[in-house]
Amino acid sequence: MSFLGSLEVFIETGLIFSIIAMGYYVSYHILDFPDLTVEGTFLTGAVVFGLLSSHNVNSWIALLVSFVLGCAFGAVTGVLNVRLKIRPLLCGILVSTSLITINLIATSAGMTGDFTGQSSSSISYGRTVKTLHDVFFGELIPSRVKGVSVRDLIIFLVVAIVCKLLLDFYFKTKNGLLLRAAGNNGQFVKMLGVDPGKSKITGLAIGNGYAAIAGALYSHVSGNVNQSMGIGMIVIGLASLIIGLSLLKNVKFMKPTTKVIIGAIIYQACLTVAQKLGVPSAYNKLIMAVIFTIALVVSSKAKNKGGSSNVAVK
Amino acid sequence: MLQLNNICTSFNKGTIDEMELFKQFNFEVKKGEFISIVGSNGSGKTTLLNLICGTMSPDSGSIIFKGDDITKMSEHRRAKFIGRVFQDPKLGTCSNLTVLENFALADNKNKTFGLTGAVSKKRIDYYREKLSHCNMGLEDRLNTPVGSLSGGQRQAIALVISGMTEVDMLILDEHTAALDPKSSETIMEITDKLVKENDMTAVMVTHNLRFATQYGNRLVMMHNGEAIMDKKAEEKEQTKVEDILHLFNEISIECGN
Ligand SMILES: Nc1ncnc2c1ncn2[C@@H]1O[C@H](COP(=O)(O)OP(=O)(O)OP(=O)(O)O)[C@@H](O)[C@H]1O
Ligand SMILES: [Mg+2]
Repeated sequence: MSFLGSLEVFIETGLIFSIIAMGYYVSYHILDFPDLTVEGTFLTGAVVFGLLSSHNVNSWIALLVSFVLGCAFGAVTGVLNVRLKIRPLLCGILVSTSLITINLIATSAGMTGDFTGQSSSSISYGRTVKTLHDVFFGELIPSRVKGVSVRDLIIFLVVAIVCKLLLDFYFKTKNGLLLRAAGNNGQFVKMLGVDPGKSKITGLAIGNGYAAIAGALYSHVSGNVNQSMGIGMIVIGLASLIIGLSLLKNVKFMKPTTKVIIGAIIYQACLTVAQKLGVPSAYNKLIMAVIFTIALVVSSKAKNKGGSSNVAVK
Repeated sequence: MLQLNNICTSFNKGTIDEMELFKQFNFEVKKGEFISIVGSNGSGKTTLLNLICGTMSPDSGSIIFKGDDITKMSEHRRAKFIGRVFQDPKLGTCSNLTVLENFALADNKNKTFGLTGAVSKKRIDYYREKLSHCNMGLEDRLNTPVGSLSGGQRQAIALVISGMTEVDMLILDEHTAALDPKSSETIMEITDKLVKENDMTAVMVTHNLRFATQYGNRLVMMHNGEAIMDKKAEEKEQTKVEDILHLFNEISIECGN
């Protein structure tokens, strides 16, 4: 692959995964909730997007529906934790396990109408399927410049930036400030006469809604949906978040959401470099975990040197 | 205003560590009272406040507030009319947020937390004015994260915040205990001013016997889940630090120390 080609790939995937990482910024960084639901909701986003697009629904609307369903399943995780007092890790495991079935049945039923889940486990977009490139503003962008698919790149950039701006806006509102308070000091929120559990549920909804958007975009790039697509998304999301926040910790003027996007792109760049060095792609997940570990260690070293708040190692 | 009727509370029920703290405990707070509660460690002061605020619920008995039974009401619902400042300065404020953001949240207490702007520029002068009464120079540090302020400064903010929206009752649990003598004096003065200016009813736990005698209009001493001393009005005025110390000694002798 050419240099430009690989540049395109890691920026593109970086932008997509930055959306998961922004979700984790809310659920993990602010609310301190290690959310395992994300692998399930990432796939849910892809499945919903794939099904709707292949049934000729405008793919921007499909993206929105993916987001809403991701939010809904995230909220389920939240309710399990807040109302039923189940531990965070277990809530994520319960919901993401249920989603394995739900995603499979939805795929099968959506493609062939078979509710036993035995006939079809993947979706591939045929040539005739219109997706994000073909509708709305997508058409206006030249599709390729010098062999780089600029159109996709711009679409992902726009989606990532919209996600970022929405979060930035949200944290300026009363509800957003309350969510930050809930992550910091639940007792304080109680003294305001509000149940901090509500903010937790909201935060998990946002986190998983964002994961679903990322899943939808990812299936758009790969041109298909398969049931194992979600695997590894927790590590990718968290690593991107932590790399972004710890590497750019001392950059004062930059919003955390911007840092997270940059972190995601850096993480993907590292993976691309590893591949360029000749590591076979079967080693991908292992390398992902190793780079993540390095990021964790580096960020905790930075803390011991007198840095103030740390992002991952407690 | 507030009645605790026949409260029974025990901890670690059904284990060998079972301990019954309150047995048929009764307590009443009248409107306008400023009660100082003293008592040895483990005598049940914090537990009493936790019962009032809804942090824990009694095994049996009822809690009546202004005629309504609030025994089963959750802590955050009660917070709408009961304000509280904790011993730990970290609990009363949000360390990650700035002073201004803390105020903005508190300012919106009992209203909806929707998708409108959190910080209103128009209110800044009002926050400044509130903070200036503390004489800690906090009015010029609105954009500082609360986490980088000292314990005393944080406690001052927690206190101002808890009195900003109208609550019927203010609960103070050793809220000066973590502070140096000078700051605790300041915080105590602010407390007194707050309670008097707003005609609040207040229940304050303290280990500082001088504060207990000097401030407030009713003095209660707790021991083993009972109020063993309860002095009101003039009777309270005449109570001196030595009297309380004397009673403390008697109790310890009883306990065989
Ligand atoms: N959550 C709990 N679990 C078990 N026992 C408890 C619990 N909370 C309080 N207790 C017990 O109840 C008794 C009263 O505790 P409480 O905290 O009310 O005392 P206190 O009067 O506030 O003491 P201090 O002056 O030390 O703050 C103590 O013996 C304590 O061990
Ligand atoms: Mg106590």
